Amino acid sequence: MRWMTWFVMFWLAVIVCAAQIEITIWTHEDPNRTPLEERYIQEFQKMYPNVKITRVTYPSAKIREVVLTAFAARKGPDIFNMEIQDAYPYIVNERVAPVNLSVLGLKTFDELKSLYVEGALDAVTYQGKIYGLPLELTNWCIFINKKYFREVGLDPEKDYPKTWEEMVQISEKLVIREGQIIKRRGFDFRYPYYLTFLLPMVEQLGGALFSDDGKTAIVNDEAWLKVLRFMKDWGPNGRNLGSPTYTAARKEFNKDNNTVAMCLSGLYQIDRIKAENPNFYNSKEWMVVPFPVFKDAVKDVRCNYYGHYYMVNAESSKEKQEWAWRFINYILSHPEDYLLNVGLIQPKRSLIESDTFKNYPYAKVFLQDMERAHIVPLHPKGPQFEQLIKEAVESVMLTTTTPEEALRILKKKANELLKEE
Amino acid sequence: MGQAHLFPKVIDLRTLERKKAIWGFIFTMPAIIFFAIFSFYPMANAFWTSFFRKELLSLKAPRFVGLNNYLYLLRSESFWNSIKATAIFAFGTFVPMVLFSLSFAALILTRKRFQKFLQMAYYSPAVLSSVVAAAIWLLIFDPRGLSNQFLNFLFNTKGIDYRWLSNENMLRLATIIVYFWKYVGYFTIIFVAGMASIPKSIHEAATIDGANRWQDFWHITLPLIRPTTLLVSVMSMIQCLRTFSTQYLFVQGGAPIKPIDVITLSIYNTAIRDRQIGRASAMSVILFLIIMSFSYLQIRISKTENITY
Repeated sequence: MRWMTWFVMFWLAVIVCAAQIEITIWTHEDPNRTPLEERYIQEFQKMYPNVKITRVTYPSAKIREVVLTAFAARKGPDIFNMEIQDAYPYIVNERVAPVNLSVLGLKTFDELKSLYVEGALDAVTYQGKIYGLPLELTNWCIFINKKYFREVGLDPEKDYPKTWEEMVQISEKLVIREGQIIKRRGFDFRYPYYLTFLLPMVEQLGGALFSDDGKTAIVNDEAWLKVLRFMKDWGPNGRNLGSPTYTAARKEFNKDNNTVAMCLSGLYQIDRIKAENPNFYNSKEWMVVPFPVFKDAVKDVRCNYYGHYYMVNAESSKEKQEWAWRFINYILSHPEDYLLNVGLIQPKRSLIESDTFKNYPYAKVFLQDMERAHIVPLHPKGPQFEQLIKEAVESVMLTTTTPEEALRILKKKANELLKEE
Repeated sequence: MGQAHLFPKVIDLRTLERKKAIWGFIFTMPAIIFFAIFSFYPMANAFWTSFFRKELLSLKAPRFVGLNNYLYLLRSESFWNSIKATAIFAFGTFVPMVLFSLSFAALILTRKRFQKFLQMAYYSPAVLSSVVAAAIWLLIFDPRGLSNQFLNFLFNTKGIDYRWLSNENMLRLATIIVYFWKYVGYFTIIFVAGMASIPKSIHEAATIDGANRWQDFWHITLPLIRPTTLLVSVMSMIQCLRTFSTQYLFVQGGAPIKPIDVITLSIYNTAIRDRQIGRASAMSVILFLIIMSFSYLQIRISKTENITY
């Protein structure tokens, strides 16, 4: 009899385990987001005991290669997110599944679009279907350490840089060097995200990455040349105000250790300051101002924004896909939590119109900039174009290459890449 | 009677040899299977893939393009830059690595005390993962790091930035230093083992014949360790041609890619960033052929009879 009981229990356990659905989610590291999403996983698993969610994190720089190799081997996770310019080729190559509307309780994609602010889902709309739901839309503004401004006789509230020319002048005042070695940078760029911050600088001067018909790359030589000259002047071969070889400015900024006075980052930086250096956060010695424009700009374009969208593997079973969308819908139904705990903006109308958003520090600065910006260019070869721009910028900043020569090479390579099958 | 007695013995020996061969085959089977699955299959697969145009994310069937990937590479400016970067790195590292590891081995063996300690000290960087080593050196080469401080102290200068990560030549030198530091100890140990295997009596005979230390090293040690020198030179050349993590991490750390865009890094970027796995496979085949030819050349040049004592 006892033997029989054990036998029945064993097979019951086998059946229960077999019925359990396991969903794997791969996402980038974000120390503030992890506890929040782990909590949602617990809640979701409690609601649906037959579902087990495994959340795996990878460093931001690593996740694109991990996901790519997994998908190449047809062993991709059920859910993942990456910066949209990296995720876009997954949509074009039909590797991700369209949003399951019935799980969300919706009937049409237009109904889904109406829940979000204008254009928020454009990046994941392909051939009439929507392939992802936004975890965040992020643009970058300038973070300022007010203390260092006052130290050099500047009033941060009035004297903050509005143009790139002013950025150079103010950085010259703020920089501390020991010979050729920079001890404190006034400001430094966010290398190597050139499609995000450098392309808008080119666009401000009338340039573009692609022509309107999409047949030519690197449009308007004068605009590109001016930006390349600006970067050369910024780097160690010029005024020596910063360089890609120094530690990332946004990381140093949080430490408030007299190594950088300004950096370029998103709204999430506020929560990172709070987590990493509460004293600095509470001191209120920091502020956020808009992305500068060139003095002779022909277009008022601000820093490009990018998005992270949760997507579902098209090769997961239909059942898993359905549960994956159900889970994504559940975690994304807390946009206020994401804003308050992680500093991420989920572009839902309900959030943007809420008092929580309106009262969030500097949310207005970011929103106003976003209204004058556009999403990073989405192209199946986007990462290759970014690499070519990186090579051009860093060759003028760090080697003896002239801006004219760098532009010639960039134009040649970019147009070859564009024409390649 | 005598012959009848001999035959079973011969048969016994043959059976024994056959048994030994079978067992030998059984024991080596796991290694052969392991090699076939994890080395031979990927190599053959890369060779096959190099004739196709295949987008890593696409579910469409790869398109046969014959030798187009190879022709594209031979016309590509970036690929030739990679060949140049690899050649500079390999020769810049290989020559000092062999010379210094030989010298360090000789130095260790002349010490009467601390031999084991010195061996351990030289070998320890080889235990570190390449990524960790590159990350440590990245901090050292930071403009505010130890390398600038040391050189400023050495040359009694103040605030000179030697631009380890931004000047083309300094950047190449920086990657060579990291690799040299990491592997010189490993090859030193191989030389120590080679030198220690020379019987003492040969050195004693040379000393009795009036040879000084230098003559002993030049005319006794060096010729007798030729197989070890060949091993070290082939191994270190292969290592240098396959370098990846140092260059990868330096580029991630903000260094310009062009001067250190070695073939392996270019393969990685072609496959992972550009998602062109066919082209990346063609590059791997070319790298394989380069390594094979260098190894063959080295073996031919240093061809020597077996040394027995």
